[in-house]
Amino acid sequence: MTSSPDGALIATSQLGHAYGDIVALHHLDFTVPAGRIGLVGANGAGKSTLIKVLLGILTPTEGTARVLGIGVADDPIAVRARVGYMPEESCLPLAQTAADFTVYAAELAGIPTKAARQRASDVLTLVGLHEERFRYLGEFSTGMKQRAMLAQAIVHDPDLVFLDEPTAGLDPEGRAEMLSLIGRLGDFGINVLVSSHVLTDIESTCDWVVMLDGGRVLRTGPLTGITGSDTVDVELLGNGAEVIAALQKRGAEVEVRGAVLRVRSSEDAFDLIRDALAESGAGMKRLSQSETSLEDIFLAAGGAE
Amino acid sequence: MTSDQGVVFDLGYQPHDGPRLGRRGAIFATVRDGIRRILGIRRKARKKVMPWVLFGIAIIPVIAVVGVSFFVEDIFTGVDNPFASHGNIFTITSSTFLIFTALAGPELLIPDRVEGVLSVYASRPMRVSDYLGARAIALAIAAGGFLVVPQFILYVGLASLDDDGWFSGLVSNAAELPKVFLAALFYLLAYGAPAFLVAMFAKRLGPAWGVYLAFMWLSSGFAVAITEATSGIWRYAALGALSVNPDIVMDWIFGRTTVREGLSGADLDPIWSVGIILGITAITWIVGLRKYRSLL
Repeated sequence: MTSSPDGALIATSQLGHAYGDIVALHHLDFTVPAGRIGLVGANGAGKSTLIKVLLGILTPTEGTARVLGIGVADDPIAVRARVGYMPEESCLPLAQTAADFTVYAAELAGIPTKAARQRASDVLTLVGLHEERFRYLGEFSTGMKQRAMLAQAIVHDPDLVFLDEPTAGLDPEGRAEMLSLIGRLGDFGINVLVSSHVLTDIESTCDWVVMLDGGRVLRTGPLTGITGSDTVDVELLGNGAEVIAALQKRGAEVEVRGAVLRVRSSEDAFDLIRDALAESGAGMKRLSQSETSLEDIFLAAGGAE
Repeated sequence: MTSDQGVVFDLGYQPHDGPRLGRRGAIFATVRDGIRRILGIRRKARKKVMPWVLFGIAIIPVIAVVGVSFFVEDIFTGVDNPFASHGNIFTITSSTFLIFTALAGPELLIPDRVEGVLSVYASRPMRVSDYLGARAIALAIAAGGFLVVPQFILYVGLASLDDDGWFSGLVSNAAELPKVFLAALFYLLAYGAPAFLVAMFAKRLGPAWGVYLAFMWLSSGFAVAITEATSGIWRYAALGALSVNPDIVMDWIFGRTTVREGLSGADLDPIWSVGIILGITAITWIVGLRKYRSLL
């Protein structure tokens, strides 16, 4: 995968943008490596604004941004020559066929016509629109339109593709297929930045996360690092009151989540649970490291308050 | 080695290792798409009807003029044929050209903006000026062809009537060609710039056509009414006849004196009309850059 010489796919420094008096992005400072990046946040968090700033459509009111090692403000054309973009809203000319538009999208990126035709055919096959390629885009269903939008975003073989809410409006089956396609982009050597307010979409496709809320970065880091946890979940058989008391006596913090106890301790939580179970004589159904969802982290970090 | 079993080669995703043409390629593609869009090429049949019908309407009178000139050649022996002149052909085709421009300008800009296609341009190596310039070039090529092709038919037709032979006719009339191109340029600017201006703000094609045509025709009606009813400084109101200004410039280019009802009394130098046409074109360009700066 292509990234800048320092390994950063995207790097921002004190990046800000305001629409008049409304500040959409506040002093964003983050760096993400090559790979599949998730940009998560509630509606209005600033995800689309950030993507537009990174594309050079919007000019930062403060700070700087570098994409693939190129300063967006310094040379937006150079950035655009190496990226693709699937916007949240439709971007399809309804009076054109999928094949014609995808060829045109490739030519707009400077791909010669003959190669553009070949690539359009290949990419439409990849996204599952080969049979429908000569139909007018105005006749497409929502799911087909989303696929066509993805096709135009990758037809010119970009180094990085921005996908803004790519699963919006899709039914569960369409969503799963779209996520599968997005997951494959990384295998093709295309870096991906996926924006979504559906956190499970990010969990299933990305390996790095940037969390935005109110135009600020809440957290950023590798998905495994963020969702990894220092707590242990134990699911008990029967009443857990005695177990809880035994754990608390040993200095552990216990959070009751229905039939599951989430245990946190400065010592080895597994040992403490073993001892507490032995002391109380209670039975256990399941014991595992806690899996923290992005949603938990997002809420814990104060997101979408 | 042969096998009766089919073999599937999954080529997977193929990266593009060939050349990339950058801005130049993007601009060229946008121009070509614009021409196709204006003429309805690779679009549904209903998109093709109007431009080609209008083109036919523009061509048929020229063919008729050339044909009639062929049969009545003897009548005009020794004098210029008053019908078969480039100026007359411009006068005949200008109304059709106005309608053609009313369709073409909005078709170039409105769908891109309303259907969100500008987002695609925003992720390609091109600037706002590249996009607008490419669309303007597309209009210039398609609409310029609309104006020049009938003139070329006349040029070739008249050459075939030349007593000294076809080639001699082409050579002797060649001096008219620069005038034809210059007059066509002013028609293009005079009609194309307001069409773009309307298209930059309209959200639907139909209303854009209506607003443009009403604006062009009513402005001329008002200009005539004001010029006729007033005098002194008010005679400059004649310049508000937007659909007539290129006719005045064309007459000037071809050295013709044509009485234009209501406006001739203004007695303004044609350079004023040139100024109005160029001024509106400049305003359209500036407005376009400002309007599209936040979209592209």
